[in-house]
Amino acid sequence: MKSVTEQNFVTLLQEHQNIVHKVCRIYTYDSDAHKDLFQEITIQLWKAFPKFRGDSKFSTWMYRVGLNTAITLYRKSLRQVQSQRIESVEFKLSYEVYDDTKDEQLKLIYGAVRKLNDIDKGIVFLYLENKNYKEISETLGISEVNARVRMNRIKTKLKTQLNS
Amino acid sequence: MDELELLKKHWNKSSTNYPSLNKADLYKLINMRSSSIVKWIFIISLLEFLGWSLISFLFDGTESLEKMNNYNVEHIFYPLTIFGYLVLFVFFFLFYKNYKSISATDNIKTLMQQILKTRKTVKQYVIFNLGFMCVSIVIGVYIELTNNPEVQTMLTRIESEGANNIYIFYLIVVALSLLAMAVITVILLGFYYLIYGLLLKRLKSNYKDLKTLETD
Repeated sequence: MKSVTEQNFVTLLQEHQNIVHKVCRIYTYDSDAHKDLFQEITIQLWKAFPKFRGDSKFSTWMYRVGLNTAITLYRKSLRQVQSQRIESVEFKLSYEVYDDTKDEQLKLIYGAVRKLNDIDKGIVFLYLENKNYKEISETLGISEVNARVRMNRIKTKLKTQLNS
Repeated sequence: MDELELLKKHWNKSSTNYPSLNKADLYKLINMRSSSIVKWIFIISLLEFLGWSLISFLFDGTESLEKMNNYNVEHIFYPLTIFGYLVLFVFFFLFYKNYKSISATDNIKTLMQQILKTRKTVKQYVIFNLGFMCVSIVIGVYIELTNNPEVQTMLTRIESEGANNIYIFYLIVVALSLLAMAVITVILLGFYYLIYGLLLKRLKSNYKDLKTLETD
């Protein structure tokens, strides 16, 4: 029997699972790693669910737990190596993500983002997701001014990389 | 056009391409085992507890207990043992409290701080154990020197052979004790450095990275 809490959670998760995929998209480079991180984020979301009080939107809360897992909590497991993946859930990642895009310039930009450090990737991710500086600063735990400064530096970093 | 704007356009366009997992799969996923860093730190500290308890159990075995009874040093031995266990309980409580306070719902910086705090408690526990062990070695050596009849006979013999010999003997005892302490300390610290160094390498560099912004 699944509890009501579990049912509620899975319903919400199914509705917003794209957020988890997108976090994986920024932090992983192949479909196995994507699946592994996807699994860890869903586990962490479920574990943290009792602490979700509903004073923020479920999706907002998901961004936070998702990034926390990708940047801080996640450790590449031995699952992939030990081929225990059989017990895991298989899903197809048949989109163009992993051979990326045909557009040469976009490919270069994705490549440059990939080279950023974990924190900067998180900022770029939130930026891509249309989050404002207030939300970015709250998610990271830094001041809004610092978030802006950081964003400007990332832009410069990307430009330098792309022009070199 | 700004590179990030271009990326954003493509990002939003491609965000509909992700696979959609059904509920049955999601149920399966959330019930799987986590391999998070917090879990690893917890497992390692539990093993540490077991390890240290085992060591103290081996040393406090009946044989050494009997020996201590013969020496009439209960007034040193028992308070030391009780003190050791008391501190163990305090640390156990602190570990538990730390783990409870780690929450994936916090912001990234707070979460990192909480994990590093947990790590700090583990470090204090290790340092305490090392210190406690060194003190125990010193006390143990002292008790043996003053109470063991065989050692007493040996001491009288050495003393009769020459006045200076006894000082050389004590010097050797002190040097050997220090060497033993140093070897154990280096091995254990190296071991911990390896375990936690590997485990927390990424977290530490990310935390440092987040902190540098504030000092700029």
